[in-house]
Amino acid sequence: MRPWFILLIGIPVSCATPAAETRAAAPSGSASRTHWAYQAARRPQLPEIDQPTRVANPVDSFVLARLRHGQRTFNPPALPAVRLRRVTLDLIGLPPSLDEIDSFLADQRPDAWSRVVDRLLASPAYGEHWGRYWLDLARYADTNGYNIDVRRPIWPYRDWVINALNTDLPFDQFTVEQIAGDLLPAATRAQRIATGFHRNTMINQEGGVDPEADRVKTIVDRANTTATVWLGTTLACSHCHDHVYDPFTQREFFAFYAFFNQTTDVAGGVPNSSLEPLLRVPSPEQQVEWDRLRSALANLADGQTAAREKLRQAETALLESVPSTMVLKERSQRRITQVHLRGDIGNPGEIVTPAVPAALHPFPAAVGKSGPPNRLDLARWLVAGDNPLTGRVTVNRYWQRFFGTGLVATSDDFGKRGQSPSHPALLDWLAREFVDAGWRVKATHRLIATSRTYQQATHRPHQGENQTPVRSSQQDSPLAGPWLDRGPRFRLAPETIRDLALAASGLLNQQIGGPSVYPLQPAGFWLEFGTRGFDMEKWPTSAAAERSRRGVYTFWRRTTVYPAFAIFDAPSREHCTVRRPRSNTPLQALSTLNDPAFLRCAAALGLRAIEADHPSQSDRIVFAFRLCLSRRPQPTELARLVTFYEQQLDHYRSHHSDADKLITAAGLSPVIQIDRSEWAAWTILASLLLNLDETITKG
Amino acid sequence: MNDGHARMTDGGGHSAAHSCPLEAATEVTARRRFLSSTTGGFIGALGLASLLNRNSGAASQPAQRHRPLAVRMPHFAPRAKRVICLFMLGGPSQFELLDHKPRLNALHGTPVPADLVRGDQFAFIKGTPNLAGSSFRFAQHGQSGAEISELLPHLSTVADDLAIVRSMHTEEFNHDPAVMFYNTGSAFTGRPAMGAWLTYGLGSESEELPGFVVLASGEPEGPPVGFHHWTSGFLPTAHQGVRFRGDGDPVLFLSNPPGVTRRTRRQTIAALRDLNQIQQEHIGDPEIGARIAAFELAFRMQTSVPELTDLGRESATTLRQYGAEVGHSSFANNCLLARRLVERGVRFVQLYHRHWDHHGFNDKDQNVLHALPQRCREIDQPAAALIKDLKQRGMLDETLVIWGGEFGRTPMVQQAPTPTRLGRDHHPGAFSIWLAGGGIRPGTLGRTDELGYQIAEDGVHIHDLHATLLHLLGLDHTALVHRHQGRDFRLTDVAGHVVEKLLG
Repeated sequence: MRPWFILLIGIPVSCATPAAETRAAAPSGSASRTHWAYQAARRPQLPEIDQPTRVANPVDSFVLARLRHGQRTFNPPALPAVRLRRVTLDLIGLPPSLDEIDSFLADQRPDAWSRVVDRLLASPAYGEHWGRYWLDLARYADTNGYNIDVRRPIWPYRDWVINALNTDLPFDQFTVEQIAGDLLPAATRAQRIATGFHRNTMINQEGGVDPEADRVKTIVDRANTTATVWLGTTLACSHCHDHVYDPFTQREFFAFYAFFNQTTDVAGGVPNSSLEPLLRVPSPEQQVEWDRLRSALANLADGQTAAREKLRQAETALLESVPSTMVLKERSQRRITQVHLRGDIGNPGEIVTPAVPAALHPFPAAVGKSGPPNRLDLARWLVAGDNPLTGRVTVNRYWQRFFGTGLVATSDDFGKRGQSPSHPALLDWLAREFVDAGWRVKATHRLIATSRTYQQATHRPHQGENQTPVRSSQQDSPLAGPWLDRGPRFRLAPETIRDLALAASGLLNQQIGGPSVYPLQPAGFWLEFGTRGFDMEKWPTSAAAERSRRGVYTFWRRTTVYPAFAIFDAPSREHCTVRRPRSNTPLQALSTLNDPAFLRCAAALGLRAIEADHPSQSDRIVFAFRLCLSRRPQPTELARLVTFYEQQLDHYRSHHSDADKLITAAGLSPVIQIDRSEWAAWTILASLLLNLDETITKG
Repeated sequence: MNDGHARMTDGGGHSAAHSCPLEAATEVTARRRFLSSTTGGFIGALGLASLLNRNSGAASQPAQRHRPLAVRMPHFAPRAKRVICLFMLGGPSQFELLDHKPRLNALHGTPVPADLVRGDQFAFIKGTPNLAGSSFRFAQHGQSGAEISELLPHLSTVADDLAIVRSMHTEEFNHDPAVMFYNTGSAFTGRPAMGAWLTYGLGSESEELPGFVVLASGEPEGPPVGFHHWTSGFLPTAHQGVRFRGDGDPVLFLSNPPGVTRRTRRQTIAALRDLNQIQQEHIGDPEIGARIAAFELAFRMQTSVPELTDLGRESATTLRQYGAEVGHSSFANNCLLARRLVERGVRFVQLYHRHWDHHGFNDKDQNVLHALPQRCREIDQPAAALIKDLKQRGMLDETLVIWGGEFGRTPMVQQAPTPTRLGRDHHPGAFSIWLAGGGIRPGTLGRTDELGYQIAEDGVHIHDLHATLLHLLGLDHTALVHRHQGRDFRLTDVAGHVVEKLLG
C-alpha cells in the first residue's frame, strides 16, 4: 500500500512553473528580501495639497494627491442620510434609527460627522459587527468540522472577541492574548479564553482516524492562519517544499510550526478528550456562588464529614451548569519537531527548534537565552514595532471592510505574487499611525470614517472619458488600483442583511453574548446529508425572542452553514477567510423573498408602518422606506410604491383567505386588532422594500 | 491549511491562464439565446435589453462577472458535454461487485500474508486478519465478457457500455478526507470540487438552473457529506454545487410564502425592477442590473424547477424502467431527475447514495452479506436504466456517467466473521469503479494482484481519473488553472495523467 499521507510529491509543477508572464519575476535569494512588504514601513511625508479645504484628514491628502496626478478629483459627498446609513452599517452593522437620522440631519455643528462616528464607536453593537469580521479570520464555528461535525463549546471565545473590540483592547494586546494568553504571567481567565483563537481548528472524529495525523493538521493550520492573519503571507506554500516566490524555506515553516507544536490538546478520533483542555467560564452570579461554596469548604473543621459532602455535592451541581470553553495549554514536556519531508508526517526529516523566518525582522536579543522561544515570544514578535507586516496587513484589512477592496487588493497575500498597493504611501502612513499610536483600533477606524474619501457619493463621477470603471464588489481591475474617486458601494454580508431586516422591522433582540442560537431554518436541513447518532439530527429552533438575535450569534455548523448565510457567500469557517466573495445569484433572491425568517421581518415591518402615527398612506410608506434606506424616496419612487401597495391591497381585499394564509405564515400576533387585508398588503410592500438592491447594499 | 481563505474574486474568476479567442463570441451567442428564450416572458425586453446593451462591446469583464456560468469553449473538441457522477458514499466492496478474485475465494479464512500488509495502516484492522473471499457469484456478460457479480443483474445487461476500472487507488483511508479527495483532488478543505472546476472551465448550458447540482438518497446512516464536498473552494461561489432537496422545496426557498400568488410575485418582481432601475440610472453600478436579472431568473426558476422535478411528467414506462415512484425520494428518482437535469443543460450532476460502509459491526446495516445486496437492489436497476435511457435518447455519447465510492474495502475481514456476517475495512490501495458514455472505451481496465490487495497493472489514481474526465470534456487538466494566493491551482494538483486506454 502507498504511504497514506503523501500530500504532494516533489515540488509542485504548478508552483514551479507559474504563468509565463510572471516566470521571469520569480525571486532569487536576496532579491526577494527587498520586496516592499518586507521593508519596514516608514512614515511618509504628507503630500502637498493645493486645496487644503478639501481635506478632512491625512488620508485625504494621499488620495487627493493621486487623484490630482490622474487629473481627477473627489466625488461630492453623499447625501447626509445616505452617508449616515453607510457609516452606521460600517461601524455597527445596523441601519440608523429614524431618530438618529433626524438628529443628524438637524445637527448644524461643524463636527456633527465626527460626533456620529464617536457615538457609533462607543456602541456595544460595534464589537458585534467588527467581531464578526474577526471570527472569519479566526475560523470560529460551533462544531468540530469534517463529516460528523458535532457541537463544541467555544462561544465564550466569540464573546471575548466582541468585548475586546468594544473595550478597544489595543491590537498588540489583542494579539498576544489570543496567541499566548495562557503563557502570560498570572494569566487571567479572560486571557485564557482568548487562546480559543487557535482552538478553532477542526477535529476529525470519524472512526479510524489517526489522532496524531489529525493533530498535525491542526498545528499546520495554526501556523498557516497565524501567518495569514498577521503577516499576510502564504507560508502554507512552504509546508511541503521551500516557497517558490517568497523567502521562506520548508525548514522555516517547521520552525514556525514548532511554536505551536507544544500544546496539550489532541485531535482526531476520540470525541470528548479532543475538546480538552477546557476552561470553566462561570457567570458573575455563578462565580459568587462558587466562591461561597469554596470558602465554606475551606472553613470546615475536621470531622464535619456530612457538611463537607453536602457542600461538595452543591459544588458539583453548580459546576455542571457552568459553561466551558476550549483553550490552549502548554505541555510540560517539550515535543520534538521534525520537518515533514514533502509535507508527509510519515517522512520525518531534520529536527528544528522554534524560530521566525530569517527574511523577517529578528527576535530581540534576549529571546531564547533561557530556553527555546515560545508562543509568547512569537506573539510579541508579531506585534513588535519593527514588524514590517502586521501593521500594514491589519490596516489594509480595515480598509477592505470599509471600501470593499484593500489598498492591497490581495489582502491575504502581501508576498511577491500579491498585488502592489494602489496607494503605497497611504498604506504606510496608516500602518505607522496605527502602530506608533499604540495599535488603537477604534482610532484607526475613526480616521477612515471621518475622511472625505470615505464620505464621497457612489454615483459615477462625470469627468471626461478616462473614467474609472464602476467601483463595486469584485470587479476592480487587478492591475489598475482603484482611484478612490467615489464612495464605496457593495452588497452587505448575510449577517448584516439579516440584522438590517430585524432592525427595520423592530424585531431585533439586542442582547449581547451567550450560547449560539438557532433561528428559523428549513426543516430537515441537517439530517438530509448528516448522520444519526450524534445529537445533530435536528436543528433545535430557538424560542421566539432568541430567533431575533443578531447574525453573529447564529449557530455555525461547518458542513451545513445556516442556509440564508451560505447563499450569500458566508464561508464554512473550516479555515481562515480574509475576503469573502460577493456573488449575486437567483438563490439569493429566493432567500430574501421567501425565507420564513424574512417573511416574519416583512410582516413586522408592515405592522410597524400600520401602527405608526402617520396621517396618510404615503407617509407610512415613507416611514417604512426610511427604516430600510434611511433616505426619503424620490417622487417617482414613492409613486411606484403607492401604486404597488394599492395593487396588493386590492388583491387581499378580494382574497381574504390569501391574507389569512400570509399572516398566519408570518407567525406574529399583533397587540391591536387590524385589518388582515391591509396587513397582508403591507407585508408584501415591506418585503419589496427589504429586497431592494439598495437595502441589501452599502452605498 | 489555509488554501481557501480568500477566493480570487477578480474579473468573474477567469484567470488569464484559461482564455480562448472564441470565448467572446460564445458569450454573445449565449446571451442571444438567453434573450430569445426569455423575451416572451412577463418581464418584457426592457430590463434584459438594458442588460444586453450594458454588457455588449469590449466590456466583457462585467459580462463575465455577471454571467459566470456563460458557456465557454473548451480547450479542444470534447467527447462529452456533461457528467453524471453516481457516488456510493462509504466505499462499496469491489470483491462482491466488480473485482472477481478466484484465488482470494480459495484462500478464504486463511491469514493474510504478513509481508503483504506490513507497515500498512488501516482504519480499524489491527494485527493479521484472515482473508475473505466473495460470497457472491460472478459471471461474464456481454460481448466483452465483463465479469460482474450477481448483485448487479441489471447493470450486467449493459455490460458492453461499461468501462470497468479495477485498478483505482486513492490516498486517504478515512471517509471524509477520501470523499474530499475524490471530489477536489485534495484531502484539505478549500479546494474546488470537480463540478465547480467544470462549470468554471465550460460554464453551463442551462440558463435557469445551476450548473452543478447535488442530489442525495438513502438512509441518513453511515458517513455523511457536507458543503465541503461540493464547494467552489477558491473559485467564485457561482460554481458551487447547489443541493436539491428530496423533501420540501427542491431548491431552498423556491416556493412563495402561503398567500402569495404568482401574480403577486410577478408584481413584486416588476416593482423591484422599476425601483432598482431608478437607482441604476442614478448610480450607474452594473451590479444593480445583475440584481434585476437575478430576481427575474429566480422568478422563472419558480416555474422551471417544479416542472423539472415533477417526475409525473415521465411516462409510466420510463418510471418503471428506473423503478422510480412519483413523490418518493430515492436513488431511482434521482437517476431520472439527473437525466432531466442534463437534458436541460446542467453540466455536472452528482448523486450521493448513502450507507455503503460495511465494516461488519452488526448483522444488518453493517454487513457485507446483508446490507451490500440491499444497497445494490437500490442502485442497480436505476443506474442501468439511466444508461439505457440516455442511450435511447441519443445522449449517452455526450454524457459521461461515473459510478464509484471514495475507496474500496480490504480483502481481509475486519470483524471475526460469522456465517451470517462479513465486514471489510477501508482500502484506498485498490478499488473498482465503472464509467459509461461520454467518449469512453467500454471494456475492463487494470488488474489487481491475486488477492485484490495491490494494483498489478494499469493503476488509475484519482488525479488520473480527474485528468481523464477533464480531457473527455475538452479540457487540458494542466491548463485549467486558477490563480489563488499567488499560485496557479489545478484540480489535479501537480499530478494526473489522462488514461489513454479509457478513451474511445
